[in-house]
Amino acid sequence: MTASTRQITISEPDARMQQVRQPRKAGFVKFLTGCGLLALSACATTPKPTDPEALAEYNEANDPYQSLNRKMYNLSFTVDKYTMKPVAKAYVWAVPRLARQSLGNMVRTMNEPIVFFNDVGAGKSRLAGDTFARWVINMSVGIGGLIDVAKMAGYPHHDNDAGITLATWGVKSGPYLFLPMMGPSSIRDGIGYGIDVGLSPWNYVPRGYGLLTFNWAYNITGIINGRADHLDDLEQLERDALDPYATIRSAYQQQRKALAESIKNDHRATTPDWY
Amino acid sequence: MNFRFRRRLLPAVVTGLLVLITGTKANAAPSAADFVRNLGNQLVTIVNNDSPTAQKKEQILPILQKGVDVDAIGRFCLGRYWRVATPDEQAEYLALFHKVLVNSITSKLGDYRGVSFTIGTTTQRGDDEAVAATLKRPQQPDTTMQWIVSTESGSPKIVDVIGEGASLRLTQRQDYASYISRNGGKVANLIEALKRQISRNSN
Repeated sequence: MTASTRQITISEPDARMQQVRQPRKAGFVKFLTGCGLLALSACATTPKPTDPEALAEYNEANDPYQSLNRKMYNLSFTVDKYTMKPVAKAYVWAVPRLARQSLGNMVRTMNEPIVFFNDVGAGKSRLAGDTFARWVINMSVGIGGLIDVAKMAGYPHHDNDAGITLATWGVKSGPYLFLPMMGPSSIRDGIGYGIDVGLSPWNYVPRGYGLLTFNWAYNITGIINGRADHLDDLEQLERDALDPYATIRSAYQQQRKALAESIKNDHRATTPDWY
Repeated sequence: MNFRFRRRLLPAVVTGLLVLITGTKANAAPSAADFVRNLGNQLVTIVNNDSPTAQKKEQILPILQKGVDVDAIGRFCLGRYWRVATPDEQAEYLALFHKVLVNSITSKLGDYRGVSFTIGTTTQRGDDEAVAATLKRPQQPDTTMQWIVSTESGSPKIVDVIGEGASLRLTQRQDYASYISRNGGKVANLIEALKRQISRNSN
């Protein structure tokens, strides 16, 4: 998760987002999401408490599918324990920080087109301009995104995705979801994820052996790098939280709300200061 | 002549007033930032020294007790269960909460050397002031957070930390609330869990 950490696990979906690039896979993800939503509608929700204070707490958590979500959470963390976590640890041990940081920059730069389209979708032309400038500068001077030159030039990265764009349009988050192997989400953010897969231009570039190899290498690196960034956060969480599931849920919901607010409240003039 | 004098005097008075007003504001803002800088410097000095972690914890405790409103945060984190807890449970919980906080901070920082931080802008947040700070740890990405400073108790004290948009005390409250509601709805069970957590994390 980087500075843009939608913290703890929150940027994890970002990292995982890199996983799916080809349209055939995008269709598969949409199919899976559809099945998931169908399963959700069929599954029993946690009963609402009658005590007013307990009810307020229940509403604040916004997690009627808690029992299913907790199962997904346990499954994800068990799988992670034996797969991604040891791989990420080995990666941190073997690869120097500078190299990891550069790969992180590259993954982020490759993701900038999605941020750009969402800046436009949210009607924030200045943010879209920043993102466009970032992409152009980092892809050229920054050697394919390996060096974040744009940040030094006054264009720092900001997170944005279709879930946030929908939020700026006034779409409510809907119930909280914990998606297996992808982390915390919500109905709105899950749909947003599907939209983002469709928005990524990398899904539409011509095919070839070289590109496919690059795509896979890039996706796998993105996932491992993203997980490595959260090694400390997640270990800290295991140590400090009595109910890590609830802690992740709370942090995720607050951070998504704060991110939507920060995008919504960006009222800077369209033209840059120097213009 | 008189009119000309007034014409000159009026802008001067207005400018003077403006300087006074903005000056007062400018003076008010740094005080919260200075307070956070001071507190941060003390913590970083301890974290960066070579003493063992246990000793660092002892050194950090008085600084936290002075600069952080631990009791207020503790009460906030227990939420609605604060009222149902007996006075004994409240006292025991708060004592444990102090330890939990120190453990949490030292475990975040304790293993590092060469920790540093920079202070950013101060903004008003309701009645409190939010001071932005960036924490730099070796081999780790920089962490940006906001320290919420309240003067409600008479002197400036930290009442919350916002990291990437999430309030630590609110996250902690939902953690505790969820734990209690899933464990019989009793504060006593939370107290036992905190004891276990402290003994586990002290090793």
